[in-house]
Amino acid sequence: MEMMSGDHSFTMTGRERNVLFGFMGLGLLCIVLTLIGDDAVHSRFWSNYLINAVFFTGVSFIALFIIAAFTTTYTGWYIVVKRIWEAYAQFLWVGLILMLVLIAGIWGHFHHLYHWADEAAVAEDPVLLGKSSFLNKYWYTFGTLIILGTWYFFFARPMRKMSLKEDAEGHDTSFSLYRKYKKYAAIFLPIGAFTSAAMIWQWVMSVDAHWYSTMYAWYATSSWFVACLALTIMMVIYLKGRGVLPFVTTEHLHDLGKYLFAFSIFWTYLWFSQYMLIWYANVGEETVYFHTRINEYPVLFYGNLVLNFVVPFFVLMRNDTKRKTGSLFFVAFVVLLGRFLDFFQMVKPGVLHTTHEALAHHGEEAATEAAHHASTFTAGFTIPGLLEIGTFLGFLAFFIFFVFKQMEKAPLVPKNDPYLAESLHHHVQ
Amino acid sequence: MSQHTKEVFYGLYNDEEDLIHAIEEANAQHLDIMDVYTPFPVHGLEKVMHLEESRLHIAGFVFGSLGFFTAFGFMTWVFTRDWPIIFGGKPYWSVPAFIPITFELTVLFAAIGMVVSFYTVCGLGPGVTNPVLDDRITDDKFCIAFETANADLNALKAFFAKTGAGEVHTKTI
Repeated sequence: MEMMSGDHSFTMTGRERNVLFGFMGLGLLCIVLTLIGDDAVHSRFWSNYLINAVFFTGVSFIALFIIAAFTTTYTGWYIVVKRIWEAYAQFLWVGLILMLVLIAGIWGHFHHLYHWADEAAVAEDPVLLGKSSFLNKYWYTFGTLIILGTWYFFFARPMRKMSLKEDAEGHDTSFSLYRKYKKYAAIFLPIGAFTSAAMIWQWVMSVDAHWYSTMYAWYATSSWFVACLALTIMMVIYLKGRGVLPFVTTEHLHDLGKYLFAFSIFWTYLWFSQYMLIWYANVGEETVYFHTRINEYPVLFYGNLVLNFVVPFFVLMRNDTKRKTGSLFFVAFVVLLGRFLDFFQMVKPGVLHTTHEALAHHGEEAATEAAHHASTFTAGFTIPGLLEIGTFLGFLAFFIFFVFKQMEKAPLVPKNDPYLAESLHHHVQ
Repeated sequence: MSQHTKEVFYGLYNDEEDLIHAIEEANAQHLDIMDVYTPFPVHGLEKVMHLEESRLHIAGFVFGSLGFFTAFGFMTWVFTRDWPIIFGGKPYWSVPAFIPITFELTVLFAAIGMVVSFYTVCGLGPGVTNPVLDDRITDDKFCIAFETANADLNALKAFFAKTGAGEVHTKTI
């Protein structure tokens, strides 16, 4: 194919490197400032760390899941952006390291993110005792190591290697390499679907250790999904503007926009399903979650729905807003912000509660004062403060730096992919 | 719909690529195409035929909004004015309980409204039979049709010969 000439390699420019390092430095500064002004158990620092670690690990997991799902379903259009998702998925091993820090924190009692990790509290609490066969530090440690390790070492890395091998060697007549790739993808789908639920229960939902909800894993995974799509759209538009993705056309952006639109609605559907069931049944153990959020975190509670449903739904409903770079980028930006807010409101109220319990346990009266003022706005807890935004930007810059490094290792067009021609001629309208 | 008949001169192509090129040629020669028939949607056809974007989705939005306000408004009126009942200790105006029904009626109104709009615009409905130029248009042939009334028949024949139409026919419909 004559248009396939050129090597389509990607190299980070010096300016990009400087900007990314600048933001990483900002993130580090914000983390240090958070630690300095923090309470005795450093709850603000650790909850920010948890949010960002889970957020970017989730984005890379979803990238792997998208590749697996599209490969299994014979999808052709996405091949021109496949290398971006491959690069995202490689971040899983960084995610593993980020989670190792949290695991070390549980064993060494550096942090009090999880109420169930406090043995003294569990012993006298029938609810936590009942859940202790799942919510314990052994499950958390080995579950995280085995599951995250499986995602990366048995799927993300070998699949990337196969994809690069395909570039170098091409295919034999029976496409045996691609068949092997397909097997990996198909096996990953059920494994990824079930294990991601367990990970979300452990990492995020167990922050509210007393609470019950069966919708939560789906709801949080769909949040990851939308976050990954928003980041992908922004990345694709940026790289296209830089001229390194010449084969990505309006047609591909249109499809990515449709995914963003559809999965924003899917997330809202799951959010509402969880909310309505709990509202209807009106069982105290369940309603406490929303009661806290509606009364004490109203900006987060309603802002979440505005940023993650109202904006993408009404802006992306039209055909042309999905095809125009400006409107698509705008919505992806708003939704990325919304995704961060969503994880923020999942984690912070539970952590604040656990912190008060922990501090009361340690007899620090002064610090428990915050508990009685939870209804007033507290930067870093009831709304994200500047330090939270800075920390998030730092992690984001680190993620993008890692992704750029991965993208430098291989051409951005997988030239021997069997579906490449379909993707190049993609036409949706 | 209209009762008067018209004579149609049409050519059949075997391939959609040939069809697209033929339409481009017809545009270049300023021939007035009556319509094009294909067995399946052909990408790029709307561009070469200069068709404007369908406004059906606007109808969909309007009917959907109508369904939304009908459902939400009706339930609000029933449960706050007409017949207030307390269910499970919930307030009369229980918005979360209304949302699933509001959603269903939005979808129902949008779907039925779009079908009715589409049938009306296309002149379709019960008892209407539309003339078919050739049965194979629904199978494997691609057709360009011209009205013969104001056309130069020789020019059309030359056009079909040039663009590689497999067959050329005249039919009164």
